Amino acid sequence: MPDHFLGVEGASVSFGKGGARVRALRTVSLLLKRSTFSLVMGPSGSGKTTLLSLFGCLLSPDEGMVFVEGVAVNRLREVERTVIRQKKISFVFQAFRLFHSLSAIDNVALGFRLRGVRQSERIVMAQDLLHRFGLGDKLQQRPTGLSPGEKQRVAIARALAGNPPILLADEPTASLDSQEGRNVCRIFRSLVDESGKTVVVVSHDPRWQEFADRTVILRDGQIEREVKNP
Amino acid sequence: MKLAWQNIIHDRVRFLVTVLGVSFAVFLMVFQGSLLAGFLQAASKLIDASDFDIWITARGVPAFEFGATLESRVREIAAGVPGVIETGRVCMAFAVYRNPNGKQQIVGLVGADPNIGKHFPVPGLPGSGSVEVISPDAVLYDESNRDQIEVTTLPAEVEINRHRASIERQIQGFGSFLGLSYLFTSYRNATRYISLGPERTMYILLRVGRGYSVSAVQQSLRRRLPEVDILTRQEFAHKSRIYWMIKTGAGGAILTGAVLGFLIGLVVVSQTIYANTMDNIEEYATLKALGASRAFVALIVCTQALICSLVGSIVGLLVVVPLVDYAKSLISWVYIPWWLPVAMIVPSLFMCSLASIASVRSALAVEPGRVFRA
Repeated sequence: MPDHFLGVEGASVSFGKGGARVRALRTVSLLLKRSTFSLVMGPSGSGKTTLLSLFGCLLSPDEGMVFVEGVAVNRLREVERTVIRQKKISFVFQAFRLFHSLSAIDNVALGFRLRGVRQSERIVMAQDLLHRFGLGDKLQQRPTGLSPGEKQRVAIARALAGNPPILLADEPTASLDSQEGRNVCRIFRSLVDESGKTVVVVSHDPRWQEFADRTVILRDGQIEREVKNP
Repeated sequence: MKLAWQNIIHDRVRFLVTVLGVSFAVFLMVFQGSLLAGFLQAASKLIDASDFDIWITARGVPAFEFGATLESRVREIAAGVPGVIETGRVCMAFAVYRNPNGKQQIVGLVGADPNIGKHFPVPGLPGSGSVEVISPDAVLYDESNRDQIEVTTLPAEVEINRHRASIERQIQGFGSFLGLSYLFTSYRNATRYISLGPERTMYILLRVGRGYSVSAVQQSLRRRLPEVDILTRQEFAHKSRIYWMIKTGAGGAILTGAVLGFLIGLVVVSQTIYANTMDNIEEYATLKALGASRAFVALIVCTQALICSLVGSIVGLLVVVPLVDYAKSLISWVYIPWWLPVAMIVPSLFMCSLASIASVRSALAVEPGRVFRA
C-alpha cells in the first residue's frame, strides 16, 4: 500500500467553455496519509469543494491524477467510480441531505443497504449507530422533526454505515450552532483516533483547526499554504 | 424499496391524483374491453350457438346478418358427401314487425330447424335454454328487447311481414347488438314470413360424423360446390366478428376508446412520476454520491411507477366491475370475460413502465457532484 492513501497530483479542473471558462483548480498536488484528519480552508471560489469532489470520485480532473487507497482512479469509468464510492468513501454535507420521507433509522439503514449489508442486519446496525450518537430516542423521527444538530448526527451515522475508510465532509458545521458544531468536530476527531478513518473536512469554520492534523489553505485554485497542527 | 414507497406516499395528494389517473385508465380499458368482448361475442353468438361443424353460405356473405339465398339442391349435394351425417337450415332476414298496438318496426327474423343446436333459440326444442317445448310456429324474443317488442302478455298476436304470428316466449342471452330486435322461430315458419320458397334456402349447416376430419369434408365440399362458401363454424364466426369489428368501424370505435384509456393513463402516470422524480432529484443525486448503482436508482423510480400502477389498477377494477354489471342492464350484450380484469394488469404495468422511462432517464442523468451545492 503506498504511503499516500488519498490524494491528487498535478490536478487541474475547469468548468464552462470559452469566455465563461473558470479554472477551479490549477495543478494542485495534495497527498494525505491513512487515518489522518485534514482540513481544507479558503475563501469562496478557492476550489475547496472541487478538491473534495476529486477525492470523492465525483469528478475527474482535466489533468493530473487522483488516488484512492493508493490506486489511481482518475481514468476510471463512472460505473467503476460508483463502486469505489460505495465501498470506500462516505460523505457528510452542509445541508445534511437526508431522505426526507424516511425516518432517522431508515436513513441510516439505507446507508447499510447501499453498502451491501444484508436486510436482516441493517436495522439492528442502524439502531446501534444512532444510539452511539445519542439519537436512541429519535429513531423513528423524520428529518423534519429533528434539530439541525440531530440531522447532522444522523447524516454522520449514515456516512459511517458499512464502515467505509474515508469520510469527506463539506461544511458540516455551517448549519449548526456553536455547541452542536463543536460536538460534530469531536465526533470527527474520534473517528480518526478510534476508528482509523481518513477524514477530509472542507470548511470556513476556524474551530476545526484545533481538531485537524493538518490544515490546507486554498486560494484561486491553488494551495496557498499548509499548516501541520501540533 | 421503502424509499420508493415513502417517496410516493409522502405527498399524499399527488399519490391520490396518480391513483385516480391510473384507476380511470384501467376503468376505461376494462369498460371498453367489456364492450368490445361483448360486441365480438354478440357478433357471432348465433353461429356459436349451433352445434353443426360446417356452414354453407352464398358466396361472399360477410356476416350472419347479411345472408343471401342458395338453391336448395346444394343441401342435397352436400348431404351426399362422405362424412356428412346430418344437415340443417337457418335463415335470417329483416322483416316488418307490427305489435299488438299497430306500431311497426324492423326486426331481424331468425328461423332454424329444430336440430340446429341445443343452445340455439328455436321453439319446440327441449332443453334449449329457457325455451320449453312449445308450438314450432311460436315466435320468441329476447328479454332485453321487451320494451321494443311491446307485448304485455304472452302469447301475443302480432304481425311479421303482414303475416299473423304468435309471440309465445321470452328468452335470455340473445339480445341484438344492432339496435333492432331479433325474433326467433322455426325455419318453416320463418320462410313463410319472408317468402322464401322451398327451392331456396339461406344457410345450410352440416354435421360431420365421427371418424371424419372436418377439414377433409370441407375440402370435398369445396370441390363439389365451388359456387358457394364452405366454412367451418369457427371460420364463419371469425368472419362475422371481423366484419363487425373492422369493416363497419363499430368495433374500431370501441377499440379506440380502450386505447384512449391507455393513453390517458400513460400521460397521467408519466406526469406524476416525472414530477415526483424531479421533486426528489436532489435525493437521487445524493443516492448516486453515496454509491447507489444505476440499477438501484432505476429500480426506485420503477417501483414507484409499479406501486401507482398496482394501487390504481385495484381501485379501477373495484369500480369497473359493478359498473359493467349495471351497464348490462342497459346494454344486454356487454360482457366482461373473467380474464379481462386480470389481463388488464399487463397493459397497466406496461403503461407505468413506459411512463417511468423519462423519469428513470432524468434520475440517472443527475450529476452526483451536485451534492456539494448547498
